[in-house]
Parts: sequence; C-alpha cells; structure tokens
Amino acid sequence: MTILVDIDHIDKIYPLKNGGEYVALRNVDLKINQGEFVSLIGHSGCGKSTLLNIIAGFEQASIGGVVLSGKLITAPGPDRMMVFQNYSLLPWLTVRQNIALAVNKVMTDLPAEERKEIIEKHIDLVGLRAAAEKRPSQLSGGMKQRTAIARALAIRPQVLLLDEPFGALDALTRGNLQEQLMAICEEYKTTCVMVTHDVDEALLLSDRVIMLTNGPEAHIGQILNVEFTRPRKRMEVVNDPKYYVNRGEIITFLNQQKRDKRRKRKVEVEKMAVPAIAAVRLVEKSVVTLGYVPTTDAAPLIVAKEKGFFAKYGLTQVELIADSSWQTIADGLANQRLDCAQLLAGMPLAMTIGVDRRRPTPIVTAMVLARNGNAITLSKKLYDDGVRDLQGLKEAIEATPELPHSFGLVDNVSMGSLLTRYWLASGGIDPDQDISLSLMSSAEMKNQLSKGFIDGYLASEPWNSAAVKDNTGFVVATDLEIWDGHQNKVLGVRENWAQENPKTHVALIKALIEACEYCDDRRNREEIVQMLARPDYLNLPAAQLRPGFIEPFQRSQDQAPELLLRFNQYYVEQSTCPRRSEAVWILTQMARWGITPFPKNWVELLERVYSREIYGKAARELGLQDGVDDHTLVKLFDGVLFNPDDPLSYLDSVTIHREICIEEIAIDEPVLKRTSRSLKTAA
Amino acid sequence: MTTAPARPASPTAEKAIEIFQSLIPPVICSSATLLLWQLLCSGADSKMPGPIKVVSQTVGTITGGFSETGIWMQLLNSLTRVGIGYVAAAILGIAIGVTIGVNKFLRDGFDPLIQILRTVPPLAWLPISTILFLQTPKPAENAGIFLIFITAIWPIIINTAVGVQQIPKDYTNVAKVLKLSGKDFLLSILIPSTVPYIFTGLRIGIGLAWLAIVAAEMLSTGAGGIGAYIWNEYTSMLDDSISKIILAVFSVGLVGLVLDRIVGWLGSLVVAE
Amino acid sequence: MQTLTSPIEVTEKTMDKPFLVIDQVSKVYPTKTGDYIVLDGIDLSVKEGEFVCVIGHSGCGKSTLLDMVSGFNTPTSGQVLLNGKAITKPGPDRMVVFQNYCLLPWKTVYENVHLAVSSVFPEKSKAEQDEIVRSNLHMVGLDEAIDKKPGQISGGMKQRVSIARALSIRPEILILDEPFGALDAITKEELQEELLDIWEEHRITVMMITHDIDEALFLCDRLVMMSNGPSAKIGEILDIPFDRPRDRAVVMEDPRYIKLRNQALDFLYNRFAHHED
Repeated sequence: MTILVDIDHIDKIYPLKNGGEYVALRNVDLKINQGEFVSLIGHSGCGKSTLLNIIAGFEQASIGGVVLSGKLITAPGPDRMMVFQNYSLLPWLTVRQNIALAVNKVMTDLPAEERKEIIEKHIDLVGLRAAAEKRPSQLSGGMKQRTAIARALAIRPQVLLLDEPFGALDALTRGNLQEQLMAICEEYKTTCVMVTHDVDEALLLSDRVIMLTNGPEAHIGQILNVEFTRPRKRMEVVNDPKYYVNRGEIITFLNQQKRDKRRKRKVEVEKMAVPAIAAVRLVEKSVVTLGYVPTTDAAPLIVAKEKGFFAKYGLTQVELIADSSWQTIADGLANQRLDCAQLLAGMPLAMTIGVDRRRPTPIVTAMVLARNGNAITLSKKLYDDGVRDLQGLKEAIEATPELPHSFGLVDNVSMGSLLTRYWLASGGIDPDQDISLSLMSSAEMKNQLSKGFIDGYLASEPWNSAAVKDNTGFVVATDLEIWDGHQNKVLGVRENWAQENPKTHVALIKALIEACEYCDDRRNREEIVQMLARPDYLNLPAAQLRPGFIEPFQRSQDQAPELLLRFNQYYVEQSTCPRRSEAVWILTQMARWGITPFPKNWVELLERVYSREIYGKAARELGLQDGVDDHTLVKLFDGVLFNPDDPLSYLDSVTIHREICIEEIAIDEPVLKRTSRSLKTAA
Repeated sequence: MTTAPARPASPTAEKAIEIFQSLIPPVICSSATLLLWQLLCSGADSKMPGPIKVVSQTVGTITGGFSETGIWMQLLNSLTRVGIGYVAAAILGIAIGVTIGVNKFLRDGFDPLIQILRTVPPLAWLPISTILFLQTPKPAENAGIFLIFITAIWPIIINTAVGVQQIPKDYTNVAKVLKLSGKDFLLSILIPSTVPYIFTGLRIGIGLAWLAIVAAEMLSTGAGGIGAYIWNEYTSMLDDSISKIILAVFSVGLVGLVLDRIVGWLGSLVVAE
Repeated sequence: MQTLTSPIEVTEKTMDKPFLVIDQVSKVYPTKTGDYIVLDGIDLSVKEGEFVCVIGHSGCGKSTLLDMVSGFNTPTSGQVLLNGKAITKPGPDRMVVFQNYCLLPWKTVYENVHLAVSSVFPEKSKAEQDEIVRSNLHMVGLDEAIDKKPGQISGGMKQRVSIARALSIRPEILILDEPFGALDAITKEELQEELLDIWEEHRITVMMITHDIDEALFLCDRLVMMSNGPSAKIGEILDIPFDRPRDRAVVMEDPRYIKLRNQALDFLYNRFAHHED
C-alpha cells in the first residue's frame, strides 16, 4: 500500500494573550494509505478539527508538517476537498451551479462538454436530479450535504476531508447519508479523512479509527483497525460479532477521556486555590529524596549526583537513598519517605493498579533510566546435559518430569521476570506449571544455583558473569536476544508529588537525561565503575562491575567473551523516552500471568502513568527529540508481532497463560464501585 | 372517526377570502382616522380643513397636475433629480465600499472621516453645494443633485464595506480550496455574498435621498420640484393652499414608500433567500 | 377497527392504571391536493410513573403526537386522555422541555423558574415559592448559577434550568422533545444520568422524543418506534428490561442491549428505512 498523506510529527501551538502558549496537538504522527478511510474521533477540544484543518491547509503545523504525495502542504487546494459540517454551499447558486463552480474553476484543462458531463454525473451520483435547479435554502440538511459531497467529489480530489459532515443532522437522517457516502467512497476508492464524534459512524465507514486524547497536548491515544469486509451494509456490520467489541473499545476510550477531562478540571481548580509563590522559584523543592537499589542500572542517579548534573538544574540537595529491596522502595514511595525512586519497569503500573492486596498508589513515570542489562543463567548441570538453548531446556525438562525444576526471579513485575516468563512460554514451557518460580535476591540465586537448588535464574550483572566465572552456570540468553532495547529501570514519582512539583520533576529529568548521556559514553565507564564501587554506593569490587558494562561478556567457560555494546544502554536511540508500546506490553504480560487484571481503561492508565508531557518538556528544553512513535508494532525474538493499540486481541491470542481478568481500574476511588460488576474473564 | 375533517373550500375562493380578511384591519383603522380628523376640524373656526374639504378643494389640482407648474410635474421634477443623484451615489458608493471593505489600510484610514460625514444632516450640505455649483449652467438643479448624492452615498459605502468584511468564512474557505483568483473571487463569491448588505445600504440611501430633496427644494430658489411647490403654496396662502399642501405631503409620502418598495423588490430579485 | 371510546371501557382501563391514554388518535391536515394524514390511528397507554421514549424518522409525526399530549394540537379524530379526562389545551399538569430550552434571555436562571412557580402556585407565600425554586435548581445542580442569565451559561446548564422549571410546578407528565439533541456527547450523557436520577426519585411519568437509540435504551421502560409518515403508525414497541437504578456501563454490557439495539436499528434502517425526496 502506498502512503498518500504523511502527517509527520506535528505540533500545533497557539500563542496566548498572556504570553504563554496553548499546545493543541503534540507529536501527532500518522500515515494514511491510498484509498483508506480514516476517522478521527475524540471529545470536543481534542484538536481533531485542528488536525483536519492542517491537512486541508487552512492552518499550519507549528512543528512538523503534512506531506501529500511527496509535497508539503502549505495552503488549501482542490486536491484536498473539504466537506464542512455547515455545508458551505453558496446560497445564491443552485445545486447544479454550486457543483459547476467547482468543476469549472478547477478542471480548466477539460473541454466544456466534458465538464458538463462531470457535473451531471455527480448530480445523479448523489440522487439530486430532481433538485438540481433548487437553491440551498430550498433543500433539507441532508440534501445540502449531498450537494456538498457531490461538489467535493466532482473535482476528483486526492483526499476527501470531512469535518463532522453529518453533525448538524439528526441521528436517523445521518444514518442514511452515511450509507450513501460509504457507497460512493467505495466505488471511487477515495481516500478520506473524517472528523466525527459518532462511534457508529466511525465504525461503519472507516478502515482505521484514530482516537485522540484530550487537549492540551492532544495526541493519538489508540488506533483501531476496523476489519469488516467491503462493500459494507449497516445491518450486516452491526450483526458482526466484532462490531460491539470494537464499539465497546471506542466507547471505553471516550469514557476514559471523559473522566480525564473531569479530573483535569478538578486539578486545575485545586491549583488555583494554591498561592502562586512557588511559581516564581526555579524549582519548588531543592531537597529531593531519591531511592534506588544498588546495581549498575543505578549509574545515572549516582553520576547525576557525583558529576553535578542535579546541581546544574537547581536541585542542590538530592539525597540518594539505597534500599535493599524493591518492596522497600515501593513502600517508601507510598508512605512518602521517598519523593521519587528508581523502579523496576513494571512497578509504576503495578503500583497504580495495586498488586498483592496493597493499597494502590498512583505513580507517574516520565523517564527510562536504563535499558537491557539482564541475562538468563542456567545451571552447570543443564550445560553438561547438553542444554544450549530454549529448545534444549524444554527437552531437558520433559525428559525428567519426576524432578522439580525451578527458577529464581527478583520480583514479579520486573521486566526481567516478565521476559523470562515470556521466553519460557514461547519455548512451550509453562512458567508456573512445568517449573516453579521463586522470588529471591540476586545473590541468593547465584548461591542456590551453585548448590543445585534451582535450575536457572534471571538477573542483572554481576550475577550472571559471576556464575560463569565460578563455573556453576552458563548464560543461555541475554535480554538483548529476547528484546533488544527494552526498558529495565525507570524513574517513578507519586502522582500528587508530580502535580505539586512540576518544575522539580522536569529539572530532575533533565539532570538524569544528561547523566544518562554521560553513562553511555564508553570513555566514562571506567570512571563510573570506580564511582559505583564506592562503599557508599554499591560497595562491590570494581572487577565485579566490569563484565558487560565495560568488559566483554562471557556466556560460558567454553566460549570466548564477546563485547555487547548495548548490554547496558542508557541514552542512545532515545533510550530515556518512556515508550507507551512497552507499557502496554507490560500490562498484557502482567495480566497474562495473573499478576494484575488487565485494565479495561488502559489508555487512561497509560496517559496518567506514562507521562509523555513531562518527558517532552524536559527533552525540548534540552534540545532533544521529545517523543517516539507509540503505535508501531513490537517484534520480539519469537517473531510474534505485538500491536500496542490492540492489547485485547493479543491477550486473546496467547496460548500459555493464567486466568486473565479484564477490569475497570478506578484510580481515583480505591473503593471500587463499578469494578466488581464489569469483571469478566477471558479464556 | 368521531369528527369529520372541515370541508375544504375551492382554492380561488379561499384566496379571495384571505385577501378580503387581510384588508379589513387597515380599512377600519384608516376610516377611523379620517373620521377623527373630520370631527376635529369640523369646528367653524378651524384653520385646518377636514378630509372632505381637502378632497373637494384639490380635485382641480389633481386633474390639472400635468401642466408645467402642476403638482405631478413638480413631483416628476424631484424624482428626476433623485434618480440622477442616487444612481451616481449607488455606483460610486458600491465601488468605494468594496475597495474599503477589501483593504484594511483604507478601511482604517477612512473610517473616522466616513463616520463624521455620514452624520451630517442633508441640509447642512446645501450652502456648500450651492456655492460649489454657482458657476454651472443650472446651479440650483445641480446643487440639488449633489445634495442627493452626498446624502445617499454614506449608508451605501458603509453597508457595502461591512458586507465585504462579513463574507462568511464558509464561502472564503470554499474560495481557498478551489483557489479562486482575484476576478473569480470577486464575481463568484464577493459580490453575490455582499449583495444583501448592498441592498440594505441602497434602501437606507433612497429614504434619505427623498427626505433631503423635499427639504432642499423648499430652501433653494428657482429649482422647482415638489418641495418648492409646497413652499409656494405656503407663501401664497390662498384659500385652498392648506388642502394643496396636504395633498402634496401625502403624495411625497406615497412616492417615498413606492421608491423604498421598488429598491426592496429589486433586492429580492437579486438576493438569494 | 377496535373502538375503545366508550366510557365503560375507559374505566376498565383505569383499573389497571392507564394514566395517559392515546386512543385511536389520527391527525389529518387538509391540503389543496387532498387530505394529508400525519398520524393514523395511534393507540398507546402509558402507566403512571412510566418512562416512554418515542423514536422515528423526521416527518413521522412524533412531534405532532407529543403536541397532542401537551395540548398544543388536537387530534382530528380519537382523543388523548389524562387520568380519564380528555386533553384539549395546554396546562401545567403537562410540562414540556424543548430542545432549544425556551428560556427568557432577560431573566436570570432563578427568575425563569420563579415565573413558572408564581404563575402556577399564586396562592403560595413568597417564602414557599422561593423554596420551590431553589430546591428545584439545587436538584439539577445549579445553585451557583442562580443569578446568571441564560446568555452566560452553557447549553447543558440551560437545559438543566429548563428541566428544573418543568419539574418545579409538579406536572403529572413531563414531556421532553429531543431535549439533549443540541448538546455535546459528554454533557448529553451527564444530563441523561441526572434526568434518570431525578426520575428515580420522583417517579414522574415521562414521555420523550429522541433520535438517539442509545439514549432511549438507557432511559426508558418502553421504546415506541413509529413508522414513516404520511399515515404514520406505531410500528413496534420494545420493552426495555434493564434493572433500575441503571448504570450505563452495566446496561451497555448486557447482552440484551445489543439485541435490542440491533432490533431498533433494523426497524429504522431496514424495515422502515427513510429516504428524503
């Protein structure tokens, strides 16, 4: 399929009278194929009409641009005909004259005879032969819009733009016109972009429904592929079992946005009540307590403090607090001992949803601190039995059903654990039934592996190379091979802290982004190793920290060490930017293994937890790219494509899983009124 | 069925009844007014003639009105002047209005001047126009025409300019999408969508012009016209003068109404509803 | 044709509490080319406290039907009975809420409601009237906008005033003519929920015209679907069985919802599809 319209990372920013600015659209990126029918849906103020006006050329994007067939759009033109909600017919012209005006002025290279033919053909196309001599005031709303559609199509535009075309008509008249428009578009294979707020309309007409979040900083929240076969008939479409599933998804999205709108309004009101003294200062708080678990992934935090990046952004008193376990960190955040913390990738979502009967704590994560850095180590015994890969492991487990097989993990919601489960399951090994998983510290794992109590574990360094060095185990896979560039550690803050200290939050992220850049420069790595090794930080011999981080990584005694440049990734390839697609994947995996229910309102949850707004602000202030595409497919090692816009179909498709619950997660009201009722189980 | 629907009357009869019914209120009210007038003026020492007396005294004037100095010829005289002055005002007023409407600089520049001049009462122009045309062959005639022109032009300019500025965004959007150029835009969008405003201006203009001409003719000498006719009757003060004046005043009103309706009707022909 | 006009049968009906009876109502407009039949033999009885929605394509005469209940129009044949009495003219026992609010723009929110209260309950003391106005505006959540004029408030708030005004005079039937048609999706849903809460509390009889199938399914006990005009009839009546009090999310997830919705869609787009011109 060829891309006809390329909406390339556009922002639309309006200056305000008080000197500030209003960001209507932020980083909207969308490619529309030739012949495709795309709908833009969202609540009022989501910028959907602004986006359409930018495509039409009535408005210009502030950043980025729209390219139509290789040409940048700078002004309106007949190649993008617009059908307006209020018809925009010229009242002094008849139906025929209105259509003729467009044809005669645009198709000037055609002989008059041919133009006349085109005009008459289009009058018939919309069934207005009997009304051709009438003026708009003598027509019903539906007939007016048909005239406008005929006028638009007569000049054969490359794209037909429809701005709530049936919004002014009553619901039932609307229905008839939708079917007519659909028939015409199918016949002409017209590429269409339609703004609408009518869910049924969007579903009936579109190939893709683009759901936009609320402004300010509106962006694409979710994309739904509508797969009914064409030509479509309304009654056939609504009787398709997928119809109400799709409809439910859009409505759920809109409901989430509705709640979001109310919440933002409330936050706004509360903000107004707070005296504005804090606004004058560079940051609201210079004293920040930042919790972490001492591993090489903590490097950016330590570097930011030691190399003065925190101080550079006005954070003069950042206190780094080393905690022994992730649970202590989570509790510290929840009970306000910590302002912010380094967290495992799954923790922000898990904490916001609430796992293990803990009280949910809404967390915001606006930055990724470290990517990759894990490996799966199996016991020497398995190595001696000839196990070299996942397939071998499965065979070994199957060969000895009488023996207990067990694996060690640090935490259920770490990216490493989720990847381990995923890795095992794609090899046909049920991580809960074929083997047993137990939680323990990394040091404990290595110990237990050497004693033969467990068969393998997933850990970060130095625990893998240490086992290789002692010849008690071997590395069967690094996470580079499972999902190269996945997020491993993130920065998390309580949502209310983020609301109260927006400037501090941004300053913190700016400091940490610079620290991440410092960490990814291999020339600095030896210095960092010395820093980390200090007793007040990791308190480990420097030699233990080097494998993978600086030195080549050794998988087994029999293999030569190999240099893995991305084993610890902090900055390159927009490493620091939180990716929504990864977050959706984490949600699906947590639901798959029964750790948390899958939130029916997942878009809302992601909008709140994965704050692109704050990251974007920090990145722009540093002159960096402020976002990444959240809607591209993710491909893992097993070749399975994960569509971050359609997690429910993905959950339907997985074979090895626990009972999957789909629930509405009410973030603001821990006592759930509705949840219990809407609970349902996916097989 | 409990009640039968009303028996429909034939269409023509229905129409006749409708017209008849619509005539009843004006006939009753006008008759009452005439009656009241007659009663008020029936006193022996009344200076004002009653309606009966007016009619009886002006029969000759009405029938003999087509002579050189007769009332109808004077009315025609006035109408001719209005016609010339008004048409000139319309042409120039629309042209200026469009120019000002399109060009923000000119609009902002001329707005204060136009606002001042448009409030000047017509008669205040009389001395100036008289002096201006003193050297021309027919000074009084030309001064009168100029007065009409200068009175009628302001509302036409202002309304046209407003109309041009207020072209609905819908229409300009259509023009932008179709990439209509200057001439096409003027003819296909600008003029048609401004026409309703232009006609509002023209209607106000014709009313003002007719107001102005009667007063001007009263004051200027040697020009004739219906204003002069009234003034002559007033100064001569013969027995039937008041009746003639009343007839003339009534005619002026009637003509004013007709002029207004004609412009309105022309507008309705051009303006899409 | 059934005849139900005899008084005996009417009393029989009162026994199983038909509150509002639309009895063989037809409406015919004479035109030059012959009679134009808008409604043809409409039979419907509404129980006290019932919430009925009427849906149909434009031109199906549903507004005419509602006008005959409110008394703005009279049937050509047949009659509309409220509590056994024929309706011939508008009255405060049947309050109408229009799509375009019909508020007086020069009066404040309070005064708009007060005008209705003082004209219907002139015998009540000033304090009592004030109490009625304030409690009704409170019910629709407008305590803070009480001194605003219609021009200063949003469409949703205007419609709330209109509903408060209608309810303040304690009508026996609340008639709603596409009340939420002009509102945006969010406000519309909010108002539907508020209306339902008020209805739950007061159990007033409601008759409402709508174009929106989802709105009807969420709100009403029975959905009356009209066939197309001319000579429009009641095509089908759907019983809407969802438990009350209703929760939108629960209603929409009910498998019966989809069935009813598709039934209504089938009626309106398939069996009685309507094509202008």
